[in-house]
Amino acid sequence: MNTPLPKQLWQRFQRSVMGRSIFRVGLPDSKLERAQAMVSSFLLHVQPAKTHRHSLQPGYSLGLGLISLYLFFLLVGTGVLLMFYYVPSTEHAYDAMKDLQYVVSAGLLIRNMHRWAAHLMVLFVMLHLCRVFYTGAYKRPREFNWVIGVTLFLLTLGLSFTGYLLPWDQLAFWAITVGTNIAGYAPVVGPKLKYLMLGGNTVGQEALVRFYALHVIVLPGIAGLLMAIHLWRVRKDGGLSRPDEPGEVVEQTELGRLPGNKTYGLMELARGTTPQVGVDPEDLVLSWPHLIFREMLLFLLVVTVLLFLAIFWNAPLEEMANVVHPPNPAKAPWYFLGLQELVSYSALWGGVIVPGLLVAVLVLLPYLDRNRQGVGRWFARERVIANTIFSVCLVVAIILTIIGTCFRGPNWSWQEPWKQPPPHSEGH
Amino acid sequence: MASGLISTMSSPVPNPTANVTRRGFVQLTFGWLAGAFATAASLAGAVRFLIPNVLYEPSLRFKAGRPEDYPDGSVTFLEEERVFLIRKGNTYRCLSATCTHLGCTVDRADSGYHCPCHGSVFDDMGVVKGGPAPRALEWFLVTLSKDSRLLVDKSQTVASDKYLVT
Repeated sequence: MNTPLPKQLWQRFQRSVMGRSIFRVGLPDSKLERAQAMVSSFLLHVQPAKTHRHSLQPGYSLGLGLISLYLFFLLVGTGVLLMFYYVPSTEHAYDAMKDLQYVVSAGLLIRNMHRWAAHLMVLFVMLHLCRVFYTGAYKRPREFNWVIGVTLFLLTLGLSFTGYLLPWDQLAFWAITVGTNIAGYAPVVGPKLKYLMLGGNTVGQEALVRFYALHVIVLPGIAGLLMAIHLWRVRKDGGLSRPDEPGEVVEQTELGRLPGNKTYGLMELARGTTPQVGVDPEDLVLSWPHLIFREMLLFLLVVTVLLFLAIFWNAPLEEMANVVHPPNPAKAPWYFLGLQELVSYSALWGGVIVPGLLVAVLVLLPYLDRNRQGVGRWFARERVIANTIFSVCLVVAIILTIIGTCFRGPNWSWQEPWKQPPPHSEGH
Repeated sequence: MASGLISTMSSPVPNPTANVTRRGFVQLTFGWLAGAFATAASLAGAVRFLIPNVLYEPSLRFKAGRPEDYPDGSVTFLEEERVFLIRKGNTYRCLSATCTHLGCTVDRADSGYHCPCHGSVFDDMGVVKGGPAPRALEWFLVTLSKDSRLLVDKSQTVASDKYLVT
Protein backbone atom coordinates (compact mmCIF):
# COMPACT_ATOMS: atom_id res chain seq x y z
CA MET A 1 0.00 0.00 0.00
CA ASN A 2 1.26 3.46 -0.81
CA THR A 3 2.10 5.72 2.10
CA PRO A 4 0.81 9.26 1.46
CA LEU A 5 3.50 11.87 0.92
CA PRO A 6 2.88 13.95 4.10
CA LYS A 7 3.19 10.83 6.19
CA GLN A 8 6.40 9.85 4.38
CA LEU A 9 7.89 13.28 5.06
CA TRP A 10 6.80 13.14 8.66
CA GLN A 11 8.32 9.71 9.14
CA ARG A 12 11.59 10.86 7.60
CA PHE A 13 11.69 13.84 9.96
CA GLN A 14 10.91 11.58 12.86
CA ARG A 15 13.79 9.26 12.16
CA SER A 16 16.23 12.18 12.11
CA VAL A 17 18.26 13.07 15.20
CA MET A 18 16.15 16.14 15.83
CA GLY A 19 12.84 14.37 15.26
CA ARG A 20 13.73 11.60 17.67
CA SER A 21 14.78 14.09 20.34
CA ILE A 22 11.43 15.94 20.14
CA PHE A 23 8.92 13.14 19.65
CA ARG A 24 10.15 10.11 21.53
CA VAL A 25 7.49 7.82 20.09
CA GLY A 26 6.21 9.60 17.04
CA LEU A 27 3.17 8.62 15.07
CA PRO A 28 2.36 5.32 16.72
CA ASP A 29 1.31 2.24 14.83
CA SER A 30 1.32 -0.67 17.23
CA LYS A 31 -0.78 -0.80 20.40
CA LEU A 32 2.33 -0.54 22.52
CA GLU A 33 3.43 2.60 20.70
CA ARG A 34 -0.01 4.13 21.06
CA ALA A 35 0.09 3.65 24.81
CA GLN A 36 3.67 4.95 24.91
CA ALA A 37 2.69 8.03 22.93
CA MET A 38 0.13 8.95 25.57
CA VAL A 39 2.51 8.42 28.46
CA SER A 40 5.64 10.00 27.02
CA SER A 41 4.15 13.30 25.87
CA PHE A 42 3.71 16.10 28.41
CA LEU A 43 0.53 17.34 26.80
CA LEU A 44 -1.00 13.91 26.32
CA HIS A 45 -0.03 12.31 29.61
CA VAL A 46 -2.73 14.35 31.36
CA GLN A 47 -4.98 11.67 29.93
CA PRO A 48 -4.89 7.93 30.49
CA ALA A 49 -3.35 5.50 28.03
CA LYS A 50 -6.64 3.64 27.93
CA THR A 51 -10.13 5.03 28.24
CA HIS A 52 -13.33 3.32 29.31
CA ARG A 53 -15.93 2.95 26.59
CA HIS A 54 -18.55 4.41 28.90
CA SER A 55 -16.59 7.69 29.09
CA LEU A 56 -16.50 7.92 25.32
CA GLN A 57 -20.25 7.71 24.86
CA PRO A 58 -21.21 11.21 23.72
CA GLY A 59 -24.62 10.84 25.33
CA TYR A 60 -23.18 10.41 28.80
CA SER A 61 -20.94 13.41 29.41
CA LEU A 62 -22.08 15.41 26.36
CA GLY A 63 -18.53 16.81 26.39
CA LEU A 64 -19.72 19.73 28.50
CA GLY A 65 -16.68 19.98 30.76
CA LEU A 66 -14.31 19.72 27.83
CA ILE A 67 -16.23 22.42 25.94
CA SER A 68 -15.92 24.69 29.00
CA LEU A 69 -12.17 24.03 29.07
CA TYR A 70 -11.83 24.80 25.34
CA LEU A 71 -13.78 28.03 25.82
CA PHE A 72 -11.42 28.98 28.65
CA PHE A 73 -8.43 28.44 26.35
CA LEU A 74 -10.08 30.51 23.62
CA LEU A 75 -10.88 33.23 26.16
CA VAL A 76 -7.25 33.37 27.30
CA GLY A 77 -6.08 33.55 23.69
CA THR A 78 -8.48 36.29 22.57
CA GLY A 79 -8.15 38.06 25.95
CA VAL A 80 -4.38 38.35 25.64
CA LEU A 81 -4.81 39.82 22.16
CA LEU A 82 -7.33 42.37 23.46
CA MET A 83 -4.87 43.38 26.21
CA PHE A 84 -2.48 44.73 23.57
CA TYR A 85 -4.96 47.52 22.79
CA TYR A 86 -7.05 47.93 25.93
CA VAL A 87 -6.18 50.62 28.51
CA PRO A 88 -7.80 50.32 31.95
CA SER A 89 -8.49 54.03 32.32
CA THR A 90 -11.85 55.78 32.47
CA GLU A 91 -10.57 58.23 29.86
CA HIS A 92 -9.21 55.72 27.36
CA ALA A 93 -11.09 52.45 27.90
CA TYR A 94 -14.13 53.38 25.82
CA ASP A 95 -11.94 54.80 23.03
CA ALA A 96 -9.98 51.55 23.00
CA MET A 97 -13.24 49.66 22.52
CA LYS A 98 -14.16 51.91 19.59
CA ASP A 99 -10.67 51.37 18.13
CA LEU A 100 -11.10 47.63 18.43
CA GLN A 101 -14.42 47.89 16.64
CA TYR A 102 -13.48 50.22 13.81
CA VAL A 103 -9.70 50.58 13.50
CA VAL A 104 -7.84 47.46 14.58
CA SER A 105 -7.58 44.67 11.99
CA ALA A 106 -9.84 41.82 13.08
CA GLY A 107 -10.38 43.74 16.33
CA LEU A 108 -14.14 43.41 16.07
CA LEU A 109 -13.90 39.66 15.46
CA ILE A 110 -11.55 39.08 18.39
CA ARG A 111 -13.74 41.10 20.75
CA ASN A 112 -16.88 39.32 19.50
CA MET A 113 -15.21 35.94 20.01
CA HIS A 114 -14.18 36.94 23.53
CA ARG A 115 -17.68 38.11 24.36
CA TRP A 116 -19.46 35.07 22.95
CA ALA A 117 -16.96 32.63 24.44
CA ALA A 118 -17.55 34.29 27.84
CA HIS A 119 -21.34 33.89 27.56
CA LEU A 120 -20.96 30.34 26.26
CA MET A 121 -18.55 29.42 29.04
CA VAL A 122 -21.03 30.52 31.71
CA LEU A 123 -23.72 28.51 29.92
CA PHE A 124 -21.61 25.38 29.49
CA VAL A 125 -20.23 25.44 33.03
CA MET A 126 -23.86 25.57 34.22
CA LEU A 127 -24.83 22.71 31.91
CA HIS A 128 -21.80 20.71 33.06
CA LEU A 129 -22.90 21.22 36.67
CA CYS A 130 -26.39 19.97 35.78
CA ARG A 131 -24.94 16.92 33.96
CA VAL A 132 -22.80 15.99 36.97
CA PHE A 133 -25.84 16.33 39.22
CA TYR A 134 -28.26 14.33 37.08
CA THR A 135 -25.76 11.49 36.65
CA GLY A 136 -24.94 11.40 40.37
CA ALA A 137 -21.28 11.85 39.47
CA TYR A 138 -20.44 13.83 42.62
CA LYS A 139 -20.68 10.81 44.89
CA ARG A 140 -17.78 9.02 46.55
CA PRO A 141 -14.91 9.37 45.81
CA ARG A 142 -15.63 12.49 43.80
CA GLU A 143 -17.19 14.65 46.55
CA PHE A 144 -14.38 17.17 46.80
CA ASN A 145 -14.02 17.47 43.06
CA TRP A 146 -17.64 18.64 43.02
CA VAL A 147 -16.69 21.35 45.55
CA ILE A 148 -13.82 22.43 43.29
CA GLY A 149 -16.26 22.42 40.38
CA VAL A 150 -18.72 24.70 42.21
CA THR A 151 -15.81 27.02 43.03
CA LEU A 152 -14.89 27.07 39.34
CA PHE A 153 -18.51 27.93 38.49
CA LEU A 154 -18.38 30.90 40.88
CA LEU A 155 -15.00 31.94 39.45
CA THR A 156 -16.51 31.82 35.95
CA LEU A 157 -19.27 34.19 37.08
CA GLY A 158 -16.63 36.41 38.74
CA LEU A 159 -14.54 36.47 35.57
CA SER A 160 -17.57 37.44 33.55
CA PHE A 161 -18.66 40.09 36.07
CA THR A 162 -15.21 41.74 36.26
CA GLY A 163 -14.91 41.68 32.48
CA TYR A 164 -18.29 43.37 32.20
CA LEU A 165 -16.97 46.69 33.59
CA LEU A 166 -13.98 46.99 31.27
CA PRO A 167 -15.66 48.51 28.15
CA TRP A 168 -16.73 51.43 30.38
CA ASP A 169 -20.04 51.89 28.59
CA GLN A 170 -23.46 52.47 30.12
CA LEU A 171 -24.13 48.74 30.34
CA ALA A 172 -20.83 48.18 32.17
CA PHE A 173 -21.09 51.08 34.58
CA TRP A 174 -24.61 50.45 35.83
CA ALA A 175 -24.33 46.66 35.97
CA ILE A 176 -21.29 47.05 38.23
CA THR A 177 -22.97 49.78 40.30
CA VAL A 178 -25.91 47.46 40.92
CA GLY A 179 -23.70 44.40 41.47
CA THR A 180 -21.37 45.98 44.00
CA ASN A 181 -24.31 47.49 45.87
CA ILE A 182 -25.74 43.97 46.21
CA ALA A 183 -22.43 42.93 47.81
CA GLY A 184 -22.85 45.93 50.13
CA TYR A 185 -25.94 44.30 51.62
CA ALA A 186 -23.91 41.39 53.03
CA PRO A 187 -24.13 41.35 56.82
CA VAL A 188 -21.30 42.98 58.86
CA VAL A 189 -18.62 43.01 56.14
CA GLY A 190 -20.88 44.25 53.29
CA PRO A 191 -20.04 47.98 53.21
CA LYS A 192 -16.32 47.31 53.82
CA LEU A 193 -16.29 44.68 51.08
CA LYS A 194 -17.91 47.09 48.66
CA TYR A 195 -15.36 49.79 49.54
CA LEU A 196 -12.52 47.29 49.03
CA MET A 197 -13.91 46.09 45.69
CA LEU A 198 -14.37 49.60 44.34
CA GLY A 199 -11.29 51.10 45.97
CA GLY A 200 -13.57 53.98 47.02
CA ASN A 201 -17.20 54.93 47.42
CA THR A 202 -18.28 55.01 43.77
CA VAL A 203 -17.50 53.15 40.56
CA GLY A 204 -14.59 55.10 39.13
CA GLN A 205 -10.96 54.85 38.03
CA GLU A 206 -9.89 52.82 41.07
CA ALA A 207 -12.70 50.31 40.56
CA LEU A 208 -11.78 49.95 36.88
CA VAL A 209 -8.14 49.13 37.64
CA ARG A 210 -9.13 46.70 40.37
CA PHE A 211 -11.59 44.86 38.15
CA TYR A 212 -8.98 44.81 35.38
CA ALA A 213 -6.33 43.22 37.62
CA LEU A 214 -8.86 40.67 38.87
CA HIS A 215 -10.06 39.94 35.34
CA VAL A 216 -6.73 39.49 33.55
CA ILE A 217 -4.56 37.82 36.18
CA VAL A 218 -6.03 37.02 39.60
CA LEU A 219 -9.21 35.16 38.66
CA PRO A 220 -7.87 33.39 35.53
CA GLY A 221 -4.80 32.34 37.53
CA ILE A 222 -6.87 30.81 40.31
CA ALA A 223 -9.31 29.29 37.82
CA GLY A 224 -6.48 27.76 35.77
CA LEU A 225 -4.91 26.21 38.85
CA LEU A 226 -8.25 24.81 40.04
CA MET A 227 -8.98 23.44 36.56
CA ALA A 228 -5.69 21.55 36.67
CA ILE A 229 -6.59 20.08 40.06
CA HIS A 230 -10.14 19.35 38.83
CA LEU A 231 -8.83 17.35 35.85
CA TRP A 232 -6.11 15.65 37.87
CA ARG A 233 -8.69 14.43 40.36
CA VAL A 234 -10.91 13.12 37.56
CA ARG A 235 -7.89 11.04 36.49
CA LYS A 236 -7.08 9.85 39.99
CA ASP A 237 -10.69 8.90 40.68
CA GLY A 238 -10.59 6.55 37.72
CA GLY A 239 -11.91 8.72 34.90
CA LEU A 240 -15.52 9.75 34.44
CA SER A 241 -18.08 8.26 36.80
CA ARG A 242 -19.89 5.18 35.56
CA PRO A 243 -22.14 2.51 37.00
CA ASP A 244 -20.61 -0.49 38.75
CA GLU A 245 -19.96 -3.20 36.25
CA PRO A 246 -21.84 -6.47 36.79
CA GLY A 247 -19.84 -9.57 37.63
CA GLU A 248 -16.77 -7.60 38.52
CA VAL A 249 -14.05 -9.06 40.70
CA VAL A 250 -14.50 -7.48 44.10
CA GLU A 251 -12.43 -9.01 46.85
CA GLN A 252 -12.72 -8.65 50.58
CA THR A 253 -9.19 -8.18 51.91
CA GLU A 254 -7.49 -6.66 54.92
CA LEU A 255 -7.65 -3.34 53.09
CA GLY A 256 -11.41 -3.58 52.90
CA ARG A 257 -13.47 -3.88 49.77
CA LEU A 258 -11.39 -3.26 46.72
CA PRO A 259 -13.04 -0.89 44.30
CA GLY A 260 -13.64 -2.85 41.19
CA ASN A 261 -14.35 -0.05 38.81
CA LYS A 262 -11.00 1.71 38.80
CA THR A 263 -8.82 1.81 35.75
CA TYR A 264 -5.09 2.04 35.82
CA GLY A 265 -2.81 3.52 33.22
CA LEU A 266 0.55 2.03 32.52
CA MET A 267 2.40 3.96 35.15
CA GLU A 268 -0.26 4.62 37.72
CA LEU A 269 -0.26 3.23 41.18
CA ALA A 270 -2.81 4.81 43.44
CA ARG A 271 -2.10 4.89 47.16
CA GLY A 272 -4.39 2.88 49.36
CA THR A 273 -5.75 0.64 46.67
CA THR A 274 -4.38 -2.39 44.96
CA PRO A 275 -4.44 -2.74 41.21
CA GLN A 276 -6.08 -5.97 40.30
CA VAL A 277 -3.02 -7.68 38.96
CA GLY A 278 -3.78 -10.15 36.25
CA VAL A 279 -7.30 -8.94 35.77
CA ASP A 280 -7.59 -7.24 32.43
CA PRO A 281 -10.28 -4.61 32.81
CA GLU A 282 -12.93 -4.95 30.23
CA ASP A 283 -14.30 -2.28 27.99
CA LEU A 284 -11.14 -0.22 27.74
CA VAL A 285 -9.93 1.18 24.47
CA LEU A 286 -6.66 2.89 23.65
CA SER A 287 -6.93 6.65 24.14
CA TRP A 288 -4.91 7.10 20.97
CA PRO A 289 -6.85 7.38 18.70
CA HIS A 290 -10.29 6.85 20.25
CA LEU A 291 -10.21 9.66 22.83
CA ILE A 292 -7.79 12.04 21.10
CA PHE A 293 -9.76 11.97 17.87
CA ARG A 294 -13.05 12.80 19.60
CA GLU A 295 -11.42 15.59 21.57
CA MET A 296 -9.96 17.22 18.49
CA LEU A 297 -13.26 16.91 16.68
CA LEU A 298 -15.04 18.61 19.58
CA PHE A 299 -12.48 21.42 19.58
CA LEU A 300 -13.10 22.04 15.89
CA LEU A 301 -16.82 22.11 16.56
CA VAL A 302 -16.42 24.66 19.37
CA VAL A 303 -14.20 26.92 17.26
CA THR A 304 -16.62 26.67 14.34
CA VAL A 305 -19.66 27.62 16.40
CA LEU A 306 -17.76 30.45 18.12
CA LEU A 307 -16.57 31.89 14.80
CA PHE A 308 -20.07 31.63 13.39
CA LEU A 309 -21.51 33.58 16.33
CA ALA A 310 -18.67 36.14 16.28
CA ILE A 311 -19.00 36.79 12.57
CA PHE A 312 -22.77 37.24 12.49
CA TRP A 313 -23.54 38.87 15.86
CA ASN A 314 -21.59 41.81 17.23
CA ALA A 315 -20.88 42.22 20.92
CA PRO A 316 -22.93 45.13 22.27
CA LEU A 317 -21.31 48.46 23.06
CA GLU A 318 -23.58 51.16 24.43
CA GLU A 319 -22.86 54.84 24.92
CA MET A 320 -19.95 55.83 27.11
CA ALA A 321 -20.59 55.46 30.83
CA ASN A 322 -22.68 58.33 32.19
CA VAL A 323 -22.60 58.61 35.96
CA VAL A 324 -25.76 60.70 36.04
CA HIS A 325 -28.26 58.83 33.90
CA PRO A 326 -28.77 55.12 34.36
CA PRO A 327 -30.28 53.44 31.29
CA ASN A 328 -33.90 52.51 31.82
CA PRO A 329 -34.19 49.66 32.61
CA ALA A 330 -30.64 49.01 33.82
CA LYS A 331 -30.06 45.31 33.28
CA ALA A 332 -27.26 42.98 34.37
CA PRO A 333 -25.95 40.24 32.01
CA TRP A 334 -28.48 37.46 31.37
CA TYR A 335 -27.05 35.00 33.90
CA PHE A 336 -27.53 37.59 36.66
CA LEU A 337 -31.04 38.65 35.57
CA GLY A 338 -32.68 35.96 37.71
CA LEU A 339 -30.77 37.43 40.62
CA GLN A 340 -31.74 40.98 39.60
CA GLU A 341 -35.40 39.92 39.44
CA LEU A 342 -35.07 38.61 43.01
CA VAL A 343 -33.27 41.80 44.03
CA SER A 344 -36.18 43.87 42.71
CA TYR A 345 -38.33 42.34 45.46
CA SER A 346 -35.79 42.67 48.25
CA ALA A 347 -32.07 43.37 48.03
CA LEU A 348 -31.18 41.58 51.26
CA TRP A 349 -33.26 38.46 50.57
CA GLY A 350 -32.79 38.36 46.82
CA GLY A 351 -29.21 39.56 46.65
CA VAL A 352 -27.62 37.96 49.69
CA ILE A 353 -29.66 35.42 51.65
CA VAL A 354 -31.22 33.32 48.85
CA PRO A 355 -28.11 33.13 46.63
CA GLY A 356 -25.90 32.65 49.70
CA LEU A 357 -27.97 29.67 50.86
CA LEU A 358 -28.09 28.23 47.35
CA VAL A 359 -24.30 28.38 47.02
CA ALA A 360 -23.85 26.86 50.50
CA VAL A 361 -26.18 23.95 49.67
CA LEU A 362 -24.47 23.49 46.31
CA VAL A 363 -21.02 23.31 47.91
CA LEU A 364 -22.12 20.92 50.67
CA LEU A 365 -24.31 18.79 48.37
CA PRO A 366 -22.10 15.66 48.25
CA TYR A 367 -21.96 15.65 52.05
CA LEU A 368 -25.71 16.23 52.45
CA ASP A 369 -26.80 13.63 49.90
CA ARG A 370 -25.62 10.32 51.39
CA ASN A 371 -27.51 8.15 48.93
CA ARG A 372 -24.89 5.95 47.26
CA GLN A 373 -27.23 4.69 44.56
CA GLY A 374 -27.57 5.70 40.95
CA VAL A 375 -24.05 6.75 39.99
CA GLY A 376 -23.16 7.03 36.34
CA ARG A 377 -26.66 7.02 34.84
CA TRP A 378 -28.83 9.91 33.75
CA PHE A 379 -31.93 10.48 35.92
CA ALA A 380 -31.41 7.29 37.94
CA ARG A 381 -34.67 6.17 39.52
CA GLU A 382 -32.93 5.71 42.90
CA ARG A 383 -32.26 9.45 42.97
CA VAL A 384 -35.77 10.63 42.20
CA ILE A 385 -36.02 12.89 45.29
CA ALA A 386 -32.68 14.63 44.74
CA ASN A 387 -33.39 15.03 41.04
CA THR A 388 -36.83 16.50 41.73
CA ILE A 389 -35.52 19.08 44.22
CA PHE A 390 -32.71 20.09 41.85
CA SER A 391 -35.10 20.33 38.90
CA VAL A 392 -37.52 22.55 40.80
CA CYS A 393 -34.70 24.95 41.76
CA LEU A 394 -33.45 24.91 38.18
CA VAL A 395 -36.89 25.64 36.72
CA VAL A 396 -37.44 28.52 39.19
CA ALA A 397 -34.03 29.97 38.24
CA ILE A 398 -34.84 29.68 34.54
CA ILE A 399 -38.27 31.30 34.99
CA LEU A 400 -36.77 34.18 37.00
CA THR A 401 -34.11 34.67 34.33
CA ILE A 402 -36.70 34.70 31.55
CA ILE A 403 -38.84 37.20 33.46
CA GLY A 404 -35.82 39.44 34.10
CA THR A 405 -34.67 39.18 30.49
CA CYS A 406 -37.89 39.45 28.51
CA PHE A 407 -40.67 40.71 30.75
CA ARG A 408 -39.10 43.76 32.39
CA GLY A 409 -39.39 47.12 30.72
CA PRO A 410 -38.74 50.70 31.85
CA ASN A 411 -38.73 51.16 35.64
CA TRP A 412 -38.50 47.36 35.91
CA SER A 413 -42.25 47.25 35.34
CA TRP A 414 -44.02 44.24 33.82
CA GLN A 415 -43.78 44.40 30.05
CA GLU A 416 -44.89 41.67 27.68
CA PRO A 417 -42.19 41.43 25.01
CA TRP A 418 -44.77 41.14 22.22
CA LYS A 419 -46.32 44.51 23.13
CA GLN A 420 -44.85 47.91 22.31
CA PRO A 421 -43.40 49.66 25.35
CA PRO A 422 -45.48 52.69 26.38
CA PRO A 423 -44.20 56.08 25.25
CA HIS A 424 -41.59 57.03 27.80
CA SER A 425 -40.38 60.50 28.65
CA GLU A 426 -37.02 60.81 30.29
CA GLY A 427 -37.98 64.04 32.03
CA HIS A 428 -34.66 65.81 31.59
CA MET B 1 4.31 -2.34 47.70
CA ALA B 2 0.92 -3.80 48.49
CA SER B 3 2.21 -6.22 51.09
CA GLY B 4 4.16 -3.42 52.82
CA LEU B 5 1.00 -1.42 52.96
CA ILE B 6 -0.94 -4.23 54.53
CA SER B 7 1.65 -4.85 57.26
CA THR B 8 1.58 -1.18 58.24
CA MET B 9 -2.17 -1.13 58.30
CA SER B 10 -2.56 -4.24 60.41
CA SER B 11 -0.12 -3.14 63.12
CA PRO B 12 -1.69 -1.42 66.14
CA VAL B 13 -2.18 2.32 65.76
CA PRO B 14 0.77 4.07 67.46
CA ASN B 15 -0.04 6.52 70.24
CA PRO B 16 0.77 9.91 68.71
CA THR B 17 1.65 11.49 72.06
CA ALA B 18 4.02 8.77 73.20
CA ASN B 19 7.16 10.22 71.61
CA VAL B 20 6.58 13.92 72.34
CA THR B 21 9.24 15.37 74.59
CA ARG B 22 8.91 18.69 76.39
CA ARG B 23 11.46 20.23 74.04
CA GLY B 24 9.67 18.81 71.04
CA PHE B 25 6.34 20.16 72.27
CA VAL B 26 7.74 23.67 72.76
CA GLN B 27 9.45 23.60 69.37
CA LEU B 28 6.30 22.40 67.64
CA THR B 29 4.05 24.91 69.38
CA PHE B 30 6.26 27.91 68.71
CA GLY B 31 7.01 26.75 65.21
CA TRP B 32 3.34 26.57 64.32
CA LEU B 33 2.53 29.79 66.17
CA ALA B 34 5.29 31.62 64.31
CA GLY B 35 4.07 30.21 61.02
CA ALA B 36 0.46 31.12 61.75
CA PHE B 37 1.44 34.61 62.87
CA ALA B 38 3.55 35.22 59.75
CA THR B 39 0.70 34.04 57.50
CA ALA B 40 -1.90 36.13 59.30
CA ALA B 41 0.37 39.21 59.29
CA SER B 42 1.06 38.92 55.56
CA LEU B 43 -2.64 38.49 54.82
CA ALA B 44 -3.56 41.46 57.02
CA GLY B 45 -0.85 43.53 55.36
CA ALA B 46 -2.10 42.59 51.89
CA VAL B 47 -5.70 43.52 52.78
CA ARG B 48 -4.56 46.81 54.33
CA PHE B 49 -2.54 47.54 51.19
CA LEU B 50 -5.73 47.22 49.14
CA ILE B 51 -7.66 49.75 51.27
CA PRO B 52 -6.94 53.13 49.68
CA ASN B 53 -5.71 55.98 51.89
CA VAL B 54 -6.36 58.72 49.37
CA LEU B 55 -9.50 58.96 47.24
CA TYR B 56 -9.52 60.82 43.94
CA GLU B 57 -13.26 61.28 44.10
CA PRO B 58 -15.27 64.50 44.19
CA SER B 59 -15.20 65.91 47.73
CA LEU B 60 -18.19 65.06 49.90
CA ARG B 61 -18.33 68.74 50.95
CA PHE B 62 -19.03 71.14 48.13
CA LYS B 63 -20.30 74.66 47.47
CA ALA B 64 -23.55 74.83 45.55
CA GLY B 65 -23.52 78.50 44.55
CA ARG B 66 -25.45 81.44 45.96
CA PRO B 67 -28.89 80.89 47.52
CA GLU B 68 -30.51 83.39 45.16
CA ASP B 69 -29.36 81.27 42.14
CA TYR B 70 -32.21 78.91 42.92
CA PRO B 71 -35.72 80.20 42.16
CA ASP B 72 -38.39 79.88 44.83
CA GLY B 73 -40.12 76.51 44.78
CA SER B 74 -37.47 74.90 42.56
CA VAL B 75 -35.97 71.42 42.66
CA THR B 76 -32.55 71.50 40.97
CA PHE B 77 -30.56 68.40 40.05
CA LEU B 78 -26.79 68.84 40.53
CA GLU B 79 -25.20 66.32 38.13
CA GLU B 80 -21.67 66.17 39.53
CA GLU B 81 -22.77 65.63 43.10
CA ARG B 82 -25.88 63.55 42.35
CA VAL B 83 -28.16 65.54 44.70
CA PHE B 84 -31.32 67.62 44.42
CA LEU B 85 -31.22 71.16 45.81
CA ILE B 86 -34.67 72.23 46.93
CA ARG B 87 -35.74 75.79 47.72
CA LYS B 88 -39.04 76.67 49.29
CA GLY B 89 -39.40 80.33 50.30
CA ASN B 90 -36.23 81.09 52.18
CA THR B 91 -35.55 77.48 53.21
CA TYR B 92 -32.92 75.32 51.52
CA ARG B 93 -32.54 71.55 51.68
CA CYS B 94 -30.47 68.95 49.88
CA LEU B 95 -31.81 65.50 48.97
CA SER B 96 -29.64 62.58 47.85
CA ALA B 97 -30.33 61.32 44.31
CA THR B 98 -28.71 57.95 45.06
CA CYS B 99 -31.32 55.22 45.42
CA THR B 100 -31.05 53.44 48.75
CA HIS B 101 -31.72 50.13 47.00
CA LEU B 102 -28.74 49.54 44.72
CA GLY B 103 -27.22 52.95 44.12
CA CYS B 104 -28.77 54.02 40.82
CA THR B 105 -29.50 57.72 40.26
CA VAL B 106 -33.17 58.52 40.81
CA ASP B 107 -35.13 60.76 38.42
CA ARG B 108 -37.46 63.64 39.35
CA ALA B 109 -41.05 62.60 38.65
CA ASP B 110 -44.18 64.77 38.54
CA SER B 111 -44.52 64.29 42.26
CA GLY B 112 -41.61 62.71 44.05
CA TYR B 113 -38.82 60.65 42.55
CA HIS B 114 -38.47 57.29 40.85
CA CYS B 115 -35.53 54.95 40.28
CA PRO B 116 -35.17 53.57 36.74
CA CYS B 117 -33.20 50.49 37.73
CA HIS B 118 -35.65 48.53 39.85
CA GLY B 119 -38.66 50.80 40.02
CA SER B 120 -38.49 52.24 43.53
CA VAL B 121 -40.83 55.20 44.03
CA PHE B 122 -40.25 58.03 46.53
CA ASP B 123 -42.50 60.96 47.46
CA ASP B 124 -41.41 64.61 47.64
CA MET B 125 -39.93 64.01 51.09
CA GLY B 126 -37.89 61.04 49.85
CA VAL B 127 -40.09 58.54 51.70
CA VAL B 128 -40.46 55.13 50.00
CA LYS B 129 -43.87 54.80 48.31
CA GLY B 130 -43.19 51.61 46.40
CA GLY B 131 -40.56 49.28 45.03
CA PRO B 132 -37.70 47.48 46.73
CA ALA B 133 -35.90 50.46 48.34
CA PRO B 134 -35.39 49.68 52.04
CA ARG B 135 -34.99 53.28 53.32
CA ALA B 136 -35.98 56.82 52.45
CA LEU B 137 -33.62 58.97 50.39
CA GLU B 138 -31.10 60.75 52.60
CA TRP B 139 -31.09 64.47 53.43
CA PHE B 140 -27.71 66.17 53.62
CA LEU B 141 -26.60 69.00 55.87
CA VAL B 142 -26.84 72.43 54.18
CA THR B 143 -25.09 75.42 55.75
CA LEU B 144 -24.04 78.86 54.58
CA SER B 145 -20.33 79.44 53.99
CA LYS B 146 -18.54 82.65 55.03
CA ASP B 147 -18.77 83.99 51.49
CA SER B 148 -22.56 83.41 51.47
CA ARG B 149 -22.58 80.27 49.36
CA LEU B 150 -24.66 77.18 50.06
CA LEU B 151 -22.39 74.53 51.57
CA VAL B 152 -23.53 70.90 51.32
CA ASP B 153 -21.88 68.15 53.34
CA LYS B 154 -22.74 64.68 52.00
CA SER B 155 -20.92 63.01 54.87
CA GLN B 156 -23.53 64.38 57.30
CA THR B 157 -27.14 63.29 56.99
CA VAL B 158 -29.88 65.17 58.78
CA ALA B 159 -33.50 64.53 59.71
CA SER B 160 -36.04 65.36 57.00
CA ASP B 161 -37.42 68.34 58.99
CA LYS B 162 -34.05 70.14 59.22
CA TYR B 163 -33.33 72.90 56.71
CA LEU B 164 -31.31 76.03 56.22
CA VAL B 165 -33.15 79.36 56.61
CA THR B 166 -31.59 82.42 55.04
